[in-house]
Amino acid sequence: MLVRLCLRRRCTPHYSTRLIHSEREVRKDPRWPGYEVVIGIETHAQLKSRQKLFSHALTSGPKDTPNTNVSVFDAAFPGTLPKLNPKCVDLGLRASLALKCEIQKRSSFDRKHYFYSDLPSGFQITQQYAPLATNGSLEVHLPDQPKSVRVRIKQLQLEQDTAKSTFHPRTLTSQIDLNRAGTGLMEIVSEPDLRSPEEAGAYVRTLQAILRAVGASDGNMEEGSLRCDVNVSVNRIGEPFGTRCEIKNLNSVKFMMAAITSEIRRHIDILNSPTPVVAQETRGFDENTFETFKLRSKEDAPDYRYMPDPNLGTLLLSEERIQVIESTMPELPWQIRQRLITSYGLSERNVDTLLKLDSAKDVPLDGDTTAAQGPIQYFDTLCEGKRRDPKVVFNWMAHELLGQLTARKQTFQNNTLSTQQLAELIDLVQEKQLTGTSAKYLLRHILSNPNTKSTREVAEEQQLLSFPPTSPPPTSSTAGVTPEAENEGALDDVVLRAMAAMPKEVEALRAGRMGVMNKIVGWVMRESRGRADAKSVKEQIERLLERR
Amino acid sequence: MASRAPELLGLGMVNVTLTQALAFISDCHLSFHQRVVQLSVPMRGHARNALTRFALGSSRCTRCYSTRQALIEQNAKINAFVHISPESTASTSKTGALQGLKVAVKDNIATKDSPTTCSSAILKDFVSPFDATVVKQLRRDGADIVGKTNCDEFGMGSLNVYSVHGPTLNPFPFTSGANNSTAEVEERSAGGSSGGSAAAVAMGLCDAALGTDTGGSIRLPASYCGVVGFKPSYGLVSRWGVVSYADSLDCVGVLGADVPIVSRVFDRISAFDTKDPTSAEPELREAASTHARRRLESLTLDSGRGKLDGLRIGIPQEFFPSELSPAVLDIFRGVLQSLQARGATLVPVSLPSSSYALSAYYVLASAEASSNMARYDGIQYGKRIPTNSLADLRNVASVYAQGRSAGFGPEVQRRILLGTYALTSDAFDNYFLQAQRVRQLVKDDFDAVFSIPNVRNAVEESEEGLEEPASKVDVLLHPSAIGSAPPLSLDSSKSPLDSYVQDLLTVPASLAGVPALSVPCPTMSTLLQREAEQGHDGWPVGVSVIGQWGSDELVLAVGQAVAEGRRTT
Repeated sequence: MLVRLCLRRRCTPHYSTRLIHSEREVRKDPRWPGYEVVIGIETHAQLKSRQKLFSHALTSGPKDTPNTNVSVFDAAFPGTLPKLNPKCVDLGLRASLALKCEIQKRSSFDRKHYFYSDLPSGFQITQQYAPLATNGSLEVHLPDQPKSVRVRIKQLQLEQDTAKSTFHPRTLTSQIDLNRAGTGLMEIVSEPDLRSPEEAGAYVRTLQAILRAVGASDGNMEEGSLRCDVNVSVNRIGEPFGTRCEIKNLNSVKFMMAAITSEIRRHIDILNSPTPVVAQETRGFDENTFETFKLRSKEDAPDYRYMPDPNLGTLLLSEERIQVIESTMPELPWQIRQRLITSYGLSERNVDTLLKLDSAKDVPLDGDTTAAQGPIQYFDTLCEGKRRDPKVVFNWMAHELLGQLTARKQTFQNNTLSTQQLAELIDLVQEKQLTGTSAKYLLRHILSNPNTKSTREVAEEQQLLSFPPTSPPPTSSTAGVTPEAENEGALDDVVLRAMAAMPKEVEALRAGRMGVMNKIVGWVMRESRGRADAKSVKEQIERLLERR
Repeated sequence: MASRAPELLGLGMVNVTLTQALAFISDCHLSFHQRVVQLSVPMRGHARNALTRFALGSSRCTRCYSTRQALIEQNAKINAFVHISPESTASTSKTGALQGLKVAVKDNIATKDSPTTCSSAILKDFVSPFDATVVKQLRRDGADIVGKTNCDEFGMGSLNVYSVHGPTLNPFPFTSGANNSTAEVEERSAGGSSGGSAAAVAMGLCDAALGTDTGGSIRLPASYCGVVGFKPSYGLVSRWGVVSYADSLDCVGVLGADVPIVSRVFDRISAFDTKDPTSAEPELREAASTHARRRLESLTLDSGRGKLDGLRIGIPQEFFPSELSPAVLDIFRGVLQSLQARGATLVPVSLPSSSYALSAYYVLASAEASSNMARYDGIQYGKRIPTNSLADLRNVASVYAQGRSAGFGPEVQRRILLGTYALTSDAFDNYFLQAQRVRQLVKDDFDAVFSIPNVRNAVEESEEGLEEPASKVDVLLHPSAIGSAPPLSLDSSKSPLDSYVQDLLTVPASLAGVPALSVPCPTMSTLLQREAEQGHDGWPVGVSVIGQWGSDELVLAVGQAVAEGRRTT
C-alpha cells in the first residue's frame, strides 16, 4: 500500500533526461534553420477487448446505438464495484512486449478526479503511480533516412475511457453516450525523442502497425480508437530545450503533423519577438484553420487529486503469465519482414506489399489467435511444403487475386477463395493443365460464384482444362482413355476444324508464308476459349501439315 | 487553496474552515472530551413525519396490515426505519436457513424494491436497479426484509443525527421497563452511523439488521442501544450493492439481540463474491478459519458451564484514553473479573500506533469519501439548482457546486472538504501517504499481539509460530465506546468535529480490517448500585472483542462467553 511515488506529477518537465537524448545529433531542417524541434507523444489506444476494462459490458463500435452497452458500473450507480478484465491486461502485456518494455510484476490503479458530464463517477481509473510497463523502445523507419530512429517509450498504462459527449450548438445541450464509458485504453507515453513532424507521423504509424499486429488495438484513428496528445518545444540549436506546449486530442496523423508544424511556427515567432518567452500551455487544434489555439495555461492546470483505487489493489503478474503471453504473441511486423525475406527470398518491395496488405486485416477481439487468417498466413499456407515457388505464389496472390478483388471493390477480408483453391489453381497452371488465360478466367469465376469445390472440379465443369502438351503424338493413343487423352483428341479436333475452316491460310502456310500461322492459332485459341496452349497449337499445326 | 476549493470540491461554502479541520486531524489523538453534537432539527417533528410517511405507504398492503402496522407505530417513537416494505415479496424464498427471520437493512445497501437513500437528499428518490449481494443472499435464505433503516448520510457520522430523515432516537427508555410512560422520554442518540439498525433491533422491530461499519458504525450504535453488533473481517461479506463511503474500510455486518442470531445471519452472508474485487478468496477464508477452528477446539470453551480455561485475552493499554468515562471503565473491570473468574487469562498488551489511528482514519476515510461522493454531481443524482448569475452559468464548476451544496448535508460536505484537501498534490504526501503508513503500523501492531497468524501476509506464513510467546493473545477486549449514548440535545458551543472522538476506540480494528464484535456489558443490580455512586447512568454500554483477520468464529465464540457472564456471574 505504501507507494513510493516517483511518477507523481505528470506536469514535471520532461527535460530531466536531457543528457540521454541529446545523444541524437541535431538534424538541420531547411524549414526552420537554426532551430531544433523536440517532440514527445502520448498515445491513447483503445484495447481490442470484447468487454470493457472493469465491467462485463461489451466494447462498442461506432455503429452501436448509443447507451446500449452500459453496465451499472459504467453508469456509476451507487454500490457498484470494478472488476478487472484479465483480457485487457493480456492485450496490454502484448503491446508492452512488442514495445520492448519492462513489465512491472506489481502495478496498481489510481483514480484521477475531475468533474465533467462525460465522467459519470467523477474519476477515471488509470495507472498513475505504478504503470503496467516502463522503459521500452520503438524503431521508427523514415523513407528518406537510411538509419531508423529509436524512440524510447517511457511507460504504458491501462486506463478507462470516458463517455462520449456530443454538443449541439443550436440547442446548447450535450448528449452523453455511455457506450464508451469504461472501455479499456492503453496510454503509451514516449520520451521526447522525435525531432520533426514527419518523425512524429512515422512514429504514430509504426505504433499503429505494431498494436494492430499484436491484436492489442485496431488503432483506427478515424473511429477514435487511437488518439494523440503531442508535446512540442523549440530551441535554438545548441541551447537548452524550450518550454513545451501540449496539443490535445489529435485524431489523425495528418492533423497531428499539421498541428506540430503550426506549433513550431508559433514558437519560433515568439522566440523571434521582443519578449521571447513561450508560456507552458495546453492547446487544441482547429481542423479548419490548421492552427493551434490555447485551452489553458499551466496555472489553470487542474489538480487531479490522484488516489490509489481502494478496490482494485495491486495487480500481480507472475513470470509464467508473462511467458505465456510472450510465447503466444503474434509475429511482429519486423519479424515477419525478416522471415519473408530469408525463407522465401522475396524482394523488399514484395514484402512491403504483403505487409501493407496484412496490416489492413481485421484485428480480432481479445487477441484471438485462432481467428480468420490474414494475408501473411494465406501466403504462408500457399508456400507450405516448398512445393510452389514463392515468387509465383506472390504474383498470383498480390497481382491476380488482389487485382480481381479490387476490381470487384472487395478487400482481402472479403476474399472467398480458399488457400486450397488458389493452391490447386497455381498447381494446375504449373503442370500446364490450365493456361494462364484460363486460370485467370477461372479465378474470376470462383470469386463470382463462391463455392467449396476443388479448383479442378470447377475447371472441368467450365471445360477449362488445357489440351495437354502434345509432343510425342502417335504413341499416346495406346495410353487408354485418360482425361488428357480425351483432351488431346479434343485439341486435335479443334485444330483440324480450324484448318478446315481456313483453307486459304493453310495453303499459304504450306507455301511457306509462316505469317498466317498466328491467324490459325488465334482461331483455335478463340474456339477453345483459351484452354489451348498457343505453343502446343502451333506445334500441332506444323505436325498436321507435315503429315499431309 | 481557499480560492480554488469550491472548484475542486464541486461544493460551495461549508460550515467549517479548512484550518479548523486540519488542526483537528493533527491533534485529535491528544486529548478530547465527550461532546454533545449539534443538532439542526428538533426530533419530534421528524418522528411524526415518519408516522405519516408509513401510514400512507403501507395502506396498500392490507393482508399484512396488522404486523407491519404495529411495526410502523412502534417505529414512530424512534425513527429507526425510513422505509417499511410490504410483507413477503415474491423474490423471497419460502424455505431456507433464515426462513421467517425478520431482517432490517441499512439504507445504504441497495434493494430494488425500495428506495436506497443513504439518508441523503441527493439520493432522495433513488431506487437501485439491483439488489446488493447480501440482500440477495438473505432473500435466497428465506429472510423477510422488513425495511430500510435510518443512518448517518452515506454512513458518515457517529450519532445518526446527519440524516435527511431526521435522527434516530435511542430506544432504551422504551425497552428498559424502568420508565413509566407518562414521564418525559430522555432523548439520546442511537449512535451511528447504523443507528437505525441498532435501534430497530433494540426496540424488537426485527430479529436482526444489516449495518455497515467503516470506523465503528456498527459497534458504536450496538453499544449505545444495548445490542450485539458485529463487524466481520474486511473482505468476508460482499460489498457489491453497498454504497461506498470509504471502500478500503467499509464492511457489512450484522446487529442482533444476541450472539447466536448474529452468527446465524453472518454465516449466510459470509461468502466469496466475484462481483466484489476485495472479496476474500475461498482458499484464504479456509486457511484463516482453520487456524481459528483449531484454536477453538484446543480451548474447549465450554459454554454450558462457562469455563474459559486457556483463553488468553489481551487488554490493549492504548484503548483507555483520558476521554473514557470512569463509569464505563468500572463496568469494563466487572466484565474482566467475570472472565478471569471463569478461567480466562488477562494479558496487558500494547498497540503503540493506535493513538494515531483516529487521525489516520479521518484522513483516509475522508479522502476515499471525497472520491466516492464525486458521482453525486447534480446531473445523474440530486437536483439541478439554478445558478444565481450568468457568470456562474458559464463556469462549469459553479454549476456543480450549486447542486452538490444543496444535496449534501454538513457532515458529508465537511469530509469531502477534508478528503479533497488530503488528496491535493501539495498535501498528498503529508496527509494521505502518511496516513497509509500509520495504517500499516496499526496492522502490524495487531499482527504482533495475536497468536493466530495473519493469513493475508502470505510471506510470513510459516509454521514456526507454534512456540507462541507468552505475550501473544487469542483476542483483544476493550470498551466499545468512551461512554454511554450521548444526549440528543442542542449544544451549539461545540464544534461538529468533537463528535469524531466517538470513534476513538473503534477505528483501529477498521484500519486493520480485523473482526470486531460489540456485546452489551452485564448490568447486574450490584454493579448498577456501585455505578450509580460513580455516576453511571444505567444506559447500555458495550464491550468489544477483536480477533485476527479471518478468526470471526473465535471472536463470536468469545463474545458469547462475555455475554453469558451476565447470567452466570
